[in-house]
Amino acid sequence: MLGFHFDATACNGCKACQIACKDKHDSPIGVNWRRVVEYGGGTWATSGNVTTPNVFSYYTSIACNHCENPVCVQVCPTTAMTQREDGTVFVDQDKCVGCRYCEWACPYSAPQFNVETGHMSKCDLCKDYRDQDQDPACVAACPVRALDWGPIEELREKYGDENAIEPLPDPSITRPNLVITPHRHAQASGFGTGAIMNPEEI
Amino acid sequence: MELTQLPMVVFTVFAQMSVGAFLVLGVIQVFGSLRHSSATVDRLADPALYAIGPTLILGLMASMLHMHDVTHVLNVIRHVGSSWLSREILAGTAFAGLGFLFAAAQWFKWGTPRFRQILAAVTALVGVGLVYVMSMIYYSLKAVPSWNTWFTPVQFALTTILLGSLAVGAAMLSAIMFRRHTLERGGKIFGARTDPDASQGEEVTALVSSSLKGIALTAIIAGGLLLVLLPLHLAQLAGLGPAGVVPLQAYTGAKLVIRLGLVVVGTALLGVFTYLLADRGRNPRPLAVVATMAFALVLVAEFMGRTQFYESMMRVGI
Repeated sequence: MLGFHFDATACNGCKACQIACKDKHDSPIGVNWRRVVEYGGGTWATSGNVTTPNVFSYYTSIACNHCENPVCVQVCPTTAMTQREDGTVFVDQDKCVGCRYCEWACPYSAPQFNVETGHMSKCDLCKDYRDQDQDPACVAACPVRALDWGPIEELREKYGDENAIEPLPDPSITRPNLVITPHRHAQASGFGTGAIMNPEEI
Repeated sequence: MELTQLPMVVFTVFAQMSVGAFLVLGVIQVFGSLRHSSATVDRLADPALYAIGPTLILGLMASMLHMHDVTHVLNVIRHVGSSWLSREILAGTAFAGLGFLFAAAQWFKWGTPRFRQILAAVTALVGVGLVYVMSMIYYSLKAVPSWNTWFTPVQFALTTILLGSLAVGAAMLSAIMFRRHTLERGGKIFGARTDPDASQGEEVTALVSSSLKGIALTAIIAGGLLLVLLPLHLAQLAGLGPAGVVPLQAYTGAKLVIRLGLVVVGTALLGVFTYLLADRGRNPRPLAVVATMAFALVLVAEFMGRTQFYESMMRVGI
């Protein structure tokens, strides 16, 4: 099973990964297989005449997590949503009917509707690059090496097994093959006090 | 509401109404046959039965509109072992097919009455299954807590009962009015089987009266249940915290008041006028008007309610 690792302590929110993905797959406007979510919040304390803000913000770069429990594959009526033996999930364009049911089911917004083809589209972990022993475009493009990919067992051995971080959903829904090195301000999924700061970008 | 949701609103409401109408006609057949001849019951029930067909076809056609590549549409039954959407399409097709077979059997009097009863019972079962499968499409989405609740199957069932009963009431009386109108003008009624004689007309009136009472009672109970259960659902949404904000917004304001108001007015109207008029006189015109109005008001309410259901979609995560 292949998956991604994301290091939130290194990411500065530059979105090079998102642009590299878009460029490589030539995806149309509105289709972003990889997105960078800014999560922020905070509070302040007043003592006498002094008000001290206590705010936080951190980024999460997210694409398809090629989940162990891929709900998109389960709900797809056509079997177009397919899981390969290496665990990666892709859309068979010869089967997809464009009903968009998978879009409802995935809490990571991985399957996205392509208006031009009338079909769904999604990250396939750059299969063509991997076949040529290259890294996926997003991983190769990150200037701060915040992204990594590989067999999930190896990633978990190397980076731990955290993936329940706001604003990501409860991982028990899909069991994502994703490992996150949490930011020092990271909040646990379901217990966040902040909000997504760039909803129009994701 | 987004325009892209319209096909699903039309499909779910019409399909549930069709199933409900079929079930109500079944109940009328069963109870009607205890006191009346099967010819009388058929005369009343058959026109309504034939009205289900076009409704269901319209709904199924609408459902096609949310597929964006119709050339791949036959693929949608491939994943029946896992996808509730595949199961819905199969159940919908099965219900439509069996329904048409039954309607044809009634029209041409194919087979024995016992055979047609069994066929109707199987169709009704498949219809109930269809409503269940439809609700599971939404209920099974764990990432959408506003749909992943007991209220999804319950409200689909309520739509089935509410619209099914009112549609049958309206269809029965419309058919009677149509026959009277045609006969008054000296015309012939299509299908010689429906040719009435005076004594049978008397019997039909009695059956209409008792059927309409049952329909009014059923609609009032189903409408009342909606009024009680919807607030419980809203309380549950409020308990979701931030994930419940968007769903709750869908169920607020004038739209909710108008929707529930229409259900109350529609069902109450039918209830009051059925109580006052059903046993009196031979002129069915006022009752026909009231039954049609009640059906129209509740149909509008149900369309509003279904758009609220789709607007209440809020997925967790990003």
